[in-house]
Amino acid sequence: MSKFGTLYVDSDSFFHRMEPSLKLLVFLLWSVTVFMFLDLRVDIFLLVLGIILLSLSRIPFIIIRNLFIVVIIFNLINALFIFLITPDYGTILTGKTTVLCNLWHYSLTLETLFYLLTLSLKYISLMPMAMILIFTTHPSRFASSLNRVGIPYKIAYTFNIIFRYIPDIQNEFKTIAQAQAARGMSFGKDEKSFTKRVRNLFNLTIPLINSALERIDKVTNAMDLRGFGKYKTRTWYNTTKIKASDYVVLLVLIIMFGLFLSIKITDTSMFWYPL
Amino acid sequence: MEILFKNFSFRYKNLKEPTLKNINLKINAGEKVLIAGQSGSGKSTLMHCINGLIPFAMEGEHSGELLIDGTKPYDETIFEISKKVGTILQDQDSQFIGLSVGEDVAFLLENNRVKTTEMHKQVAEALDIVDMNDFIGQSPYELSGGQKQRVSIAGVISSKSDIMLFDEPLANLDPASGKNVIQLIDNLHKETGKTILIVEHRIEDVLEESVDRIVVIEKGEIIFNGPPQEILASNILNTAGLREPLYVEAIKRSKHGLSALDKIQNIENCADEKIKDSILKWYIPTEMIKEKITKRKMLSVKNVDFSYDKTRKVLSDISFDLHEGEILSVLGNNGAGKSTLSGLISGILKPAKGEIFLNDQKINGWSIKKVGENVGYVMQNPNSMIVKHMLRDEVKLGLEARLVDNRGVLSFNWLKSLFNRKNINEDDNIEKLYLDIIRTCGLYGYRNWPIASLSYGQKRRAAIASILTLDPKIIIMDEPTAGQDYRTYSSFMKFIQELAASGLGIILITHDIHLALEYSSRSIVLCGGEKIADDTPARIFAQTDIIDRANLKETSLGKLASIIGIENKSDFIQFFINEAKECSIIE
Repeated sequence: MSKFGTLYVDSDSFFHRMEPSLKLLVFLLWSVTVFMFLDLRVDIFLLVLGIILLSLSRIPFIIIRNLFIVVIIFNLINALFIFLITPDYGTILTGKTTVLCNLWHYSLTLETLFYLLTLSLKYISLMPMAMILIFTTHPSRFASSLNRVGIPYKIAYTFNIIFRYIPDIQNEFKTIAQAQAARGMSFGKDEKSFTKRVRNLFNLTIPLINSALERIDKVTNAMDLRGFGKYKTRTWYNTTKIKASDYVVLLVLIIMFGLFLSIKITDTSMFWYPL
Repeated sequence: MEILFKNFSFRYKNLKEPTLKNINLKINAGEKVLIAGQSGSGKSTLMHCINGLIPFAMEGEHSGELLIDGTKPYDETIFEISKKVGTILQDQDSQFIGLSVGEDVAFLLENNRVKTTEMHKQVAEALDIVDMNDFIGQSPYELSGGQKQRVSIAGVISSKSDIMLFDEPLANLDPASGKNVIQLIDNLHKETGKTILIVEHRIEDVLEESVDRIVVIEKGEIIFNGPPQEILASNILNTAGLREPLYVEAIKRSKHGLSALDKIQNIENCADEKIKDSILKWYIPTEMIKEKITKRKMLSVKNVDFSYDKTRKVLSDISFDLHEGEILSVLGNNGAGKSTLSGLISGILKPAKGEIFLNDQKINGWSIKKVGENVGYVMQNPNSMIVKHMLRDEVKLGLEARLVDNRGVLSFNWLKSLFNRKNINEDDNIEKLYLDIIRTCGLYGYRNWPIASLSYGQKRRAAIASILTLDPKIIIMDEPTAGQDYRTYSSFMKFIQELAASGLGIILITHDIHLALEYSSRSIVLCGGEKIADDTPARIFAQTDIIDRANLKETSLGKLASIIGIENKSDFIQFFINEAKECSIIE
């Protein structure tokens, strides 16, 4: 967490300077591309490209590493469940069956293994761009940028408000939980019975909702009193200027996306399986 | 710009009775006015009528006339009103909307469509006035309460509105920061000539700088409207349930008849011979001897260190004891380590070094739950503690859990001594215990009420009731009097004193000087994670170096003592406290 209590990492890189809404567009088209294909080559290409871009973003390595570990673990679990539920999906996709080994009721086929690898890499290849978007974008600049591309400012400003008050609500949750724990109603390790833990966790909802409602009331009043919603438009204290480099990025983005789109249209195979 | 109420009444949509009744009030351009009243007196409603939250955010019915600068706010929008009236709300946290200082000050300008470059200029100017320009890029989490308050003020200065409205500007601030804010408001008034309205019940603190007029509201009606010297000489503040400045109380206790001509609002004028004589006649040196503590030690904190990140110590080498029946106050500015200390005592945090003993048992390794059975923690905001809809369920919740868990372990010593009951054993049913507890807390009449319909003070009692069901030996209270006026506060503290008298140990975490002085027998002062004082409050508040280091403030009693020429300030303060206590017993 940065000093703003948000995920934004204050630094200066190509991505920090990039127009936030353009970054969002890059991420969206990146995701569309990833989901268009079930092709290991595309996944690897995007992952390598993503990692190169990520290395330019000056996000601290430790954050990148930790998040990659989380996502990889998540993917392993995901793959395991897919295998348990549909062990022969690879065969359905390719029409081939190459049994590698038999595990209890299940037989692991080369086709399914390859499918799971493709799928996992697909998710992982989304990671670098998502991280760039989240960690290099100042929430206020993001809001003003969204507003500039036509999103109503009341919606765009929601991002600011969320980032502003999430840490407050986190703190509130912590203090409420601690006060209840001190009352003997902990939902942590202190409580041995699992059902009681769940019940105790559930008990936190009322005070948490109470405090959230109180806060919303106060914040709304504070915003009203300072003229939020007065005019149809507003100006922004934190804002970015659209630069020549942004147009270059946009051009490259369109070309690349066009390329991928044309590949998708010409290549009708659903799943790339070279073996 | 002037504000004019003519036979104005207002009733909230969901209430039967009007909250404001027949208000006639004129506030002239450039005046500085203090609006005082108890909680629920209608003072906030009056303020909302001026800043436009009524009728735009809060609905209701009004009669009579209200004119701000000659126009009726009811004919305008809240935005037009906000051009004329700038409001600084009491919750510094929630009203900090921006992600950084600069952004927050700019919020109003953004909504007014000021161009970005011009906006940056105006923000810097406004921050200069409140002396916060060095903090322009900081996030709210890096600021103290007083600094946030300054940022809010800058946000209103940038609006260039002619009327500035301060809603309890002293709430949640430590005494020194509160004093700074009052000075800042005064400077603003002198330099800009804006009309300034301060809504506060802490009259003594507001009067540190001069005000033109005081308006007192009681039950929706104006009961006083005049200069400060007049009201201080009268008995109106007391009857309205408000606290007079302590030095004024002292002069009155000395049986000196005051008149408006004494101009007592300025403490320097107490050098008057007649006042001096009267006080000197009244004051009998008490020759305080350090009270010998014969009572049993309950809690003993020995050389405790704590750090959240293993590099920076938040607490270092803290030692103190708490005795049976003692009320101990823990003072210190924000970040001095007060909440960390209460976390350590209630078992939420574990000390890095040192030991904590409870009745001679070391509790360092105990679970939160086990510590919680002995140490109850009452949060500042009761709404953060209450988990059930009905009072009955809330209070019974802990009781049921505990009785089912450890049948026979409950002793309820404090209950026994309160009611002289001999045998409350495990067979006494929950119902009986529950009824006793809510009776003790003065909530018996509300036992079948939903908690949401209780008043703030009653909710606080409900939170304590639910803690008492755990049969604690020690109760820690975080700012127990925050947001309460004098009357509610005194009756609440009397209740706490009764609990202490039954043998509980009470720890008050606070920056309320009055509270520490009058209700705690001992104070410890933290500063930068170290204990810098451990003494009677009267002695602590007579030591200027400690006062300065801990962001406290000299009491007006101490000032009075030096003006009159009493050398032993702490003894004078102690004498006053003893006198006040005796009187409250007689009452």
